[in-house]
Amino acid sequence: MRFQSNLRRAAWAGFVLLAAVAGLSQSARAADEWPTRDITFYVPYAPGGSTDPISRKYAELLEKQLKVKVIVENKPGASATIGTGAVIRATPDGYTIGLGSSSSLAYQPLEMKGLAWKSANDYQSIAKLSDLPVILAVPADARWKTLDDFIAEAKANPRKLKVSVSGLRSINDIVIQQLNKLAGLRIVTVPFTGGGGEATLAALGGRVDGSSGFAPGMKGQIDAGKLRVLAVFQQGKYDLLPDAKPIGETPWKDTFPVGYYVIAPNGLPKAILEKLTAVSKTIVESDEFKSFLKANGYTSDPKIGDDMKQELAGYDAKFRDVIKFLDDDK
Amino acid sequence: MNSLQGLLYGLQIAATPTNLLAAFVGAFAGTAIGVLPGLGPVAGVALILPLTFSLDPTAGLIMMAGIFYGSMYGGSTTAILLNIPGESASVVTAIDGYQLAKKGRAGATLTIVAVGSFVGGTLAVVGVMMFSSSLANLAILFGPAEFFALTAGGLIVMSRISGGTLASALLPMTLGLMLGTIGQEAVTGETRFTFGIPDLAEGVSLVPVVVGLYGFAELMLLVEDRAHAANRPESVKMRDLLPTRTEWKRAVPSWLRGTFLGFLFGLVPGPAATLASFAAYRLEKATSKYADEIGTGAIEGVAGPEAANNSAATASLVPLLALGIPFTPIAALMISAMLVQGIQPGPLLITQHPEIFWGLIASAYIGNVMLLALNIPMVGVWVSLLRIPHYLFIPLLLVLSVIGTYSVRNSIFDVWVLLAAGIVGYAFNKLKFQLAPLVVGLILGPNIEKHFREALFLSDGDPWIYVQSPIAVTVWLLVAAILIAGFIARRRAAFADAMAQESSL
Repeated sequence: MRFQSNLRRAAWAGFVLLAAVAGLSQSARAADEWPTRDITFYVPYAPGGSTDPISRKYAELLEKQLKVKVIVENKPGASATIGTGAVIRATPDGYTIGLGSSSSLAYQPLEMKGLAWKSANDYQSIAKLSDLPVILAVPADARWKTLDDFIAEAKANPRKLKVSVSGLRSINDIVIQQLNKLAGLRIVTVPFTGGGGEATLAALGGRVDGSSGFAPGMKGQIDAGKLRVLAVFQQGKYDLLPDAKPIGETPWKDTFPVGYYVIAPNGLPKAILEKLTAVSKTIVESDEFKSFLKANGYTSDPKIGDDMKQELAGYDAKFRDVIKFLDDDK
Repeated sequence: MNSLQGLLYGLQIAATPTNLLAAFVGAFAGTAIGVLPGLGPVAGVALILPLTFSLDPTAGLIMMAGIFYGSMYGGSTTAILLNIPGESASVVTAIDGYQLAKKGRAGATLTIVAVGSFVGGTLAVVGVMMFSSSLANLAILFGPAEFFALTAGGLIVMSRISGGTLASALLPMTLGLMLGTIGQEAVTGETRFTFGIPDLAEGVSLVPVVVGLYGFAELMLLVEDRAHAANRPESVKMRDLLPTRTEWKRAVPSWLRGTFLGFLFGLVPGPAATLASFAAYRLEKATSKYADEIGTGAIEGVAGPEAANNSAATASLVPLLALGIPFTPIAALMISAMLVQGIQPGPLLITQHPEIFWGLIASAYIGNVMLLALNIPMVGVWVSLLRIPHYLFIPLLLVLSVIGTYSVRNSIFDVWVLLAAGIVGYAFNKLKFQLAPLVVGLILGPNIEKHFREALFLSDGDPWIYVQSPIAVTVWLLVAAILIAGFIARRRAAFADAMAQESSL
């Protein structure tokens, strides 16, 4: 994939050089005719996670719409800030766009210094692709049959119950901390950084009392009766796991999913921005994209341009509250 | 369905033209990826992931698995011929393999490796087929404390992996451990020692270090060796391509030991194939009848690790297929391929999608046969590469190493790491330091730290967690036993030496 894309890029570099010589690449015309060459779509996560399939689906549909190749390139690392930064710092010509998540766009700038973005003003919001809710599951032989059981025990025994998460301060950790904050609990989160798999494994082996993660990686264990899902951290029922109690039906309904978004660097020429936004709107509202989301456990929640920007600005405030709660708790 | 019925069912699936082609493409691409220095199986599998979306899911997975175990065949080729490991699982193969090649046994060694890979791969498929459901639970028994024992104990045991004095191994190992602390810390994501360089946030990656330490350094040594630089290496005679009867005989027990060890490593999380090859090399040093020769060009030092890394690669299918939990980046990619196709990995895969489970297993048998058939005739070709004059060969390899390293992460920074590692490797060579412990330190260091900290998170800071499980205690006792046995053996040898000197006086 990468090697190919390099070859292709090399080929394009040659072509672009020729075009420049021929005097074809006046910038005004370039904006009107965009896109005339391959578009690179950066995914700031390693292949194999929940971010990869959705990016590739969007890229596939974007290719159909724009009639050029859209190359998906994984640029993982540093809690997704490397790949996200690569998009934000790219030349705003419409040929480099990418995926951002509510974590990489809104949470990381609060924790990490020196990133190229501090708020949603520092990049161009194009379209929201989907939400993916966090779920809480316990080993099938655990004594908690429902979320109420689990919360009752957590309340009676602060700092006793342990929940595995895929990395400290990942969204699935923050969601549990938000529950701690709202319900007055002290569930301890234990980070396992083996890409989510080890967090699930720790729950299966009974090393932790539960695991907070995402359905695509845990559904197999739930279906096989090895894990029992207690809760889904969203407002309404989760089609993929109808047994999970939506946190929206409890008093602690103020939660958040991980959101996936398409971003571009600031300063795109107006014509390009309008075309990219319009095309992305068509994609995220299409039946094909929606049925893909549904089958894979994502929740469709199309938000375009400024609506998306507003949502991310809202997350900023929520995350600040959780960070404050965690700091006070130390 | 019992295993035999399953296998027959799987063979029907694997033997369809599409799936046979998929296995062949995987095996072929895997061999090529293994041979090219730098380009490793993870990059290779990532490369074809998008391709599999448009294939039938079984065919896609067969191809991905083929690349993985195929690369274990190819990776040792450059390690043996040129002292340049094609991927990290072949680092230890370079130690004895290159010495054997210098003795003119390159062809024989490559044949031993190809057959050993076949033995390791095939026996491991049998293991996967027979025991996958019961063995899957082994992984569940291992938590942070157990992994800490395994990795930290492993580090101690492997400090003497490549012979030489203790100091000549400990210094590079410390350097490797230090390099491993650069970048994002595994648990909190805090960056360390990056000096504001964004590329360092991801840490020093293994590929440029390995290719640099071994490959670049070796090329520099070749250039330095002016007397040889102008000459062609002497041609290898046909009969030298085949192992002698003794070589075959010596390889068999090593293959079996390596296969067994590799299989166990494949079942638990971690860089299984790489660790398995290191551990197998160490095991050969401890148990082989010819242990004294290991390090100076013994067939055991090649046969054991190469059977082990193939066996580990295949065994890592167990947690993937029976648990649906990825332990390696490649397994994660295969799970991604399943999810995109709407297949839910997990314990129910074998009943819901028997065509994938059994098809993949049956294709691994076929793939291993294909790989053997591909690799044995190639031995002659590879060996004849040695006859290319150095003034052509060295630049060619230099370019290939740089391209391979660059392509893994599209990172020019990695190319600088490659160059720096080359200089370090060259200096270490001159100063008679060992290189393998540096690689061991770099691989194990971050793992040790991660498991160490995860265990403390789990116990809420109570250090007794490290010795509270029977598995962890057993591992530590084993480590102690190996150390004491080694100490006694060295004292005895020293004593015998002293006696011999005295009697000669």
